[in-house]
Amino acid sequence: MLAEVGREDEEKWLAEGIAGLQQNAYYMGRALDTNNLRDALKYSAQMLSELRTSKLSPHKYYELYMRAFDELRKLEMYFKEETRRGVSITDLYELVQHAGNVLPRLYLLCTVGSVYITSKEAPAKDVLKDLVEMCRAIQNPVSGLFLRSYLSQISRDKLPDIGSEYEGDADSVIDAVDFVLQNFTEMNKLWVRMQYQGHVHEREKREKERNELRDLVGKNLHVLSQLESVDLVMYKETVLPRILEQVVNCKDDLAQYYLMDCIIQVFPDEYHLQTLETLLGACPQLQPTVDIKTVLGRLMDRLSNYAASSGEVLPEFLQVEAFSKLSTAIGKVIEAQVDMPIVGAITLYVSLLTFTLRVHPDRLDYVDQVLGACVKKLSGKAKLEDSKATKQIVALLSAPLEKYNDIVTALKLPNYPRVMDHLDNETNKIMAVVIIQSIMKNNTCISTADKVEALFELIKGLIRDTDGGAFDEVDEEDFKEEQNSVARLIHMLHNDDPAEMLQIISTVRKHILLGGSKRLPFTVPPLIFSALKLVRRLQIQAGDVGEDAPTTPKKIFLILNQTIEALSAVPSPELALRLYLQCAEAANDCDLEPVAYEFFTQAFILYEEEVADSKAQVTAIHLIIGTLQRMNVFGVENRDTLTHKATGYSAKLLKKPDQCRAVYACSHLFSVDDQDGIKDGERVLLCLKRALRIANAAQQMANVTRGGSGPVTLFIEILNKYLYFFENGNPQITSSVIQDLIELIMTETQSESTAADPSAIAFFNSTQRYIRFQKQKGGALGEKYEPIRV
Amino acid sequence: MASRRRMLLKVIILGDSGVGKTSLMNQYVNRKFSNQYKATIGADFLTKEVQFEDRLFTLQIWDTAGQERFQSLGVAFYRGADCCVLVYDVNVAKSFDNLNNWREEFLVQASPSDPENFPFVVLGNKVDVEGGNSRVVSEKKAKAWCASKGNIPYFETSAKEGINVEAAFQCIAQNALKTEPEEEIYFPDTIDVAGSGRHQRSSGCEC
Repeated sequence: MLAEVGREDEEKWLAEGIAGLQQNAYYMGRALDTNNLRDALKYSAQMLSELRTSKLSPHKYYELYMRAFDELRKLEMYFKEETRRGVSITDLYELVQHAGNVLPRLYLLCTVGSVYITSKEAPAKDVLKDLVEMCRAIQNPVSGLFLRSYLSQISRDKLPDIGSEYEGDADSVIDAVDFVLQNFTEMNKLWVRMQYQGHVHEREKREKERNELRDLVGKNLHVLSQLESVDLVMYKETVLPRILEQVVNCKDDLAQYYLMDCIIQVFPDEYHLQTLETLLGACPQLQPTVDIKTVLGRLMDRLSNYAASSGEVLPEFLQVEAFSKLSTAIGKVIEAQVDMPIVGAITLYVSLLTFTLRVHPDRLDYVDQVLGACVKKLSGKAKLEDSKATKQIVALLSAPLEKYNDIVTALKLPNYPRVMDHLDNETNKIMAVVIIQSIMKNNTCISTADKVEALFELIKGLIRDTDGGAFDEVDEEDFKEEQNSVARLIHMLHNDDPAEMLQIISTVRKHILLGGSKRLPFTVPPLIFSALKLVRRLQIQAGDVGEDAPTTPKKIFLILNQTIEALSAVPSPELALRLYLQCAEAANDCDLEPVAYEFFTQAFILYEEEVADSKAQVTAIHLIIGTLQRMNVFGVENRDTLTHKATGYSAKLLKKPDQCRAVYACSHLFSVDDQDGIKDGERVLLCLKRALRIANAAQQMANVTRGGSGPVTLFIEILNKYLYFFENGNPQITSSVIQDLIELIMTETQSESTAADPSAIAFFNSTQRYIRFQKQKGGALGEKYEPIRV
Repeated sequence: MASRRRMLLKVIILGDSGVGKTSLMNQYVNRKFSNQYKATIGADFLTKEVQFEDRLFTLQIWDTAGQERFQSLGVAFYRGADCCVLVYDVNVAKSFDNLNNWREEFLVQASPSDPENFPFVVLGNKVDVEGGNSRVVSEKKAKAWCASKGNIPYFETSAKEGINVEAAFQCIAQNALKTEPEEEIYFPDTIDVAGSGRHQRSSGCEC
C-alpha cells in the first residue's frame, strides 16, 4: 500500500514538474520567436529549475530531463543563430551565468558551451575543462549525475579527438580522454556516495535507484571506447589503469560489478587480450560480495567468441598466454574470496573449461588442468549436497564429452574420474547416464580392456551399490532405465582382436558381478551374447587356431558357465536356463560335445531345483525340447540321457494338456531332418501314443469335473503331428493309424455329451480339408493319402 | 515556432545486440567503420545536417543499447521520435525474428498518436559478411515482413562497406519529415500579463 501511495505521489510530482516545465518552455519559445534573449534566458532558467526536485525516482527524473533536454535544443539553435548574426559567444557564455540557481545555470552554460566549441573561438579542451570543473558545484547525486550526463551528451561530437575538427595541438588528444575520464570519475563518486544518503531503512530503495542510474556512469566508458584516440597504447597505459583505479578504490560492490562488466563489453577483444593481466589483476581486489564469476564468465565468453570468429586471432591468444593468465586469475579470485560458495568456484571452472575447449580444443592438458583445479577445490570436503553445485559439475564433466563427442578422449583425463568422485550418488548416476548416452549417440566403440576398465570405473555408480546408497529409495522405473543403458553400453565394447576382446569381456564381467542381485538380470545377458558373438567369430576363423591359443571357444564357455551361475544366486532361474541353452547351442556349433552337455546338465539342474512355477515349467520344457532338437553334437549315449530326461519331465508337468503337448513335442527329438539325423520312427510313435493316452486321461478328467467338454483339440493337434510324420515318411505311421484317430475325433465332436467347441471344430475341419487337398493333388503324396477317408 | 521545431528530426535506431546499430550511425555520420565489437551503454545521439528540398535539417540519430542490461534508465528518449529504424543482421535469424518485438516495444513506449502510420525503416545489415554466403534471412522474407507491417521501407546495408547507408538514411530523413509534429500543443492556464511565472522563482536555497 505504502509503495502504491508513493507511486501515486510520484506521478503527481512528475505531472507538476512537467506542467511547470511546459509553461516556462512556452514562454521561452515565445521569447525566442520575438528574439528576446533576456526573457528566453529567464524562462529557460525557470524551466530548468524543475530539475532541482529531489522527489522523483531516476526513471521519472529521466522523463523530466528528456523534456528539458528537447527544449534546450531549441535554445541551442537560437544561440547558434545569434552567433551567426554576430552576437559574441563569449558574451553569451558570460550572460547565462547570471541565472540565479546553480543547476539551471550549469545546464545553460553547457548549452552555450556546446555552441562555444562549435564556434571555435576558444579551444575545445579549454571550454570542456571549464565546464567539467564547474559541474562540481552540484553535489546532489541524482541531479549531479544527470547534469554531467548532459555535459557528456552535448560534448560527445565535439571532443578534440583524432580526426575530429576540434582536434587541437599534439596534446589535445589526451585532453579528450582526460575530459571523459574526469567526468567519469566525478560521476562514479556521486553514484557511490549516493548510498550513504538518507535513512538506513531506505537502503533497499536507494540501491534500486542507484541501479537505475548506473548507465549514466557506464556511458562514459562507451564514449571512451568510441574515441579514435583511444588506441591500444592509450588504453593500456592511461585509460584502463585509471578506470580500474576508480573501480577498485570506490570499494562499492554495485559499482564494481557493473563497471567491470562495462569494461569487458565496451572495449574491443584485442584490447582485453593485450591487457589481460591488468584487467584480471583487479579481480581479487574487488569486494568479496561482487559476483566475480559472472564478470569473468562474460569475459571468457567474449574471448572465446573472438577466438571462434577467425583462425587468425589464435596466435594472439598463445602469445599472451591467455589460458594460463585466466587460470591463475581464477585461482586467485577463489583464494581471495574465502566465502565464495562452492557453486561459484565451480561455475568459474566451467567458464574456463568452455573457454579452453573453444580456443584450444587440441590442448587436453588444459582440460585436465581445469578439472584438477576443481578436484583441489573439492577435496577435503564431504560429497556435494548443493544441487546448484552438482549441476555445475555435471556441466563441467559434460563439456568435454560434447566437445569431443568421444568418451575415449575424456578417459584420457586423469582428473575426470576424480571429479566424479565428489558427486553425490544420485548425480554420479546422472553423470554416468550422460556418459553412456554420449557413447550411444556418437556410436563410440570402446576398444581396449584398459579403456573399459576406466569407463566402468567412471560409471561405477550404475554398476554397483555405493556406500550408503539406500536401495529402497530408488525409483523402480529409473533403475530399469539405468540398467538398460548399461546393457546397451556392453554392446558398444568391441575389438576385432579376439584376445583383446576376451580381455574386455573379462573386465566387464569383473565389474558387473559386483552389481548384486537386482542388476545381474540386466547386465549378464548382454555380456553372454557379446561373448557368444566372439565365439562365433573364432569359429569362422577356426582351423588356424590351436588348442593352446590364448583365446579358444572352450575358455570362453568356461567363463560363461561361471557367469551364468551368478544368476542362480539372484535367483533368476528362468533367465539362467535360457542362457545355458543359448550357450549349449553355441557349443554345439563349435563341436564341443562335453561343453554342450555340461550346459544342458546345468539347465536340467535348474529345471529340477529352481523352476517351480507350473507355467514357467511349461515354457522351460519347450525351450529345452526345442534346443535339444537342434543339437547334433551328441553321441548316442549323451543324447539318450538328455532326451530321456526331457520326455520324463514332459510327462510330469502339472496339467494334463501341458503334459500332452510337451510329450508330442518330444516326438521331434527322435526325428531330425539333418543329413545324418536320427530317424527313430518307433520312438516317435511311442511319444505320440503316449500323448494320446494323456489326452484320453485328460478327457476323462474333464468329463468327471466339468461334465462334458473334453479337450478334443488335443486329439486334433496329435492328428496333425501324425500327418507330419506320415508325410515325412515315418514307416511306423500308417494310414490306418491315422484313420482310427480321425474316427475317434469324429465320434468325440459329435457326441452329445460334448458341447461343441467352435474353434476345435474349425481346426478339425481345416485339417480334413488339408487331407482332401493332398488326395486331390495326386502324385506320390496323394497316393499315400489315398486310403484315408474323410 | 513550428518552423524551428521542424528543423530537428529525431530518429531512434533499435535492434538486437551486435547487429551494427552503432556502426551504421558512425558510417553515416563520420564515415568511419571499425570491425571491433563494442557494446553501447544507454542511449545517445550524433547529429548530422541534411539538405532536403532546399532546406537544412538536423538529424538527431539516437543509438541505443541492444543489451537490455545496459538500458537501466528506461526509454524516455523515445519521446518525440520522428522515425524509428529497426536493424537486424542478415546472418542471424534471431535478430530478424526480434524485429517485431522491437517494433511493438517502441509503439508501446513511445505511444505515437497514429501508431498505424508511424514511419519505420528496416535495415538488413552485414550483407558483406562472407560475400553473403553466411546469410540466413533472405531479402524476400524481410520484404514480406515489411510489407505486412504497412509497407515499411527496406534496405540491405553494409556499415563496413558503406553499402546503401547513405540511401537508407536519406529515406529515413524523408520519412521522419513526413511525420506530423508530435508535440502536444501547450497553452498556459492563465495568461499572466505581468510577466508570467515569476511566482515560480525559488526564493529558497540557490542551488
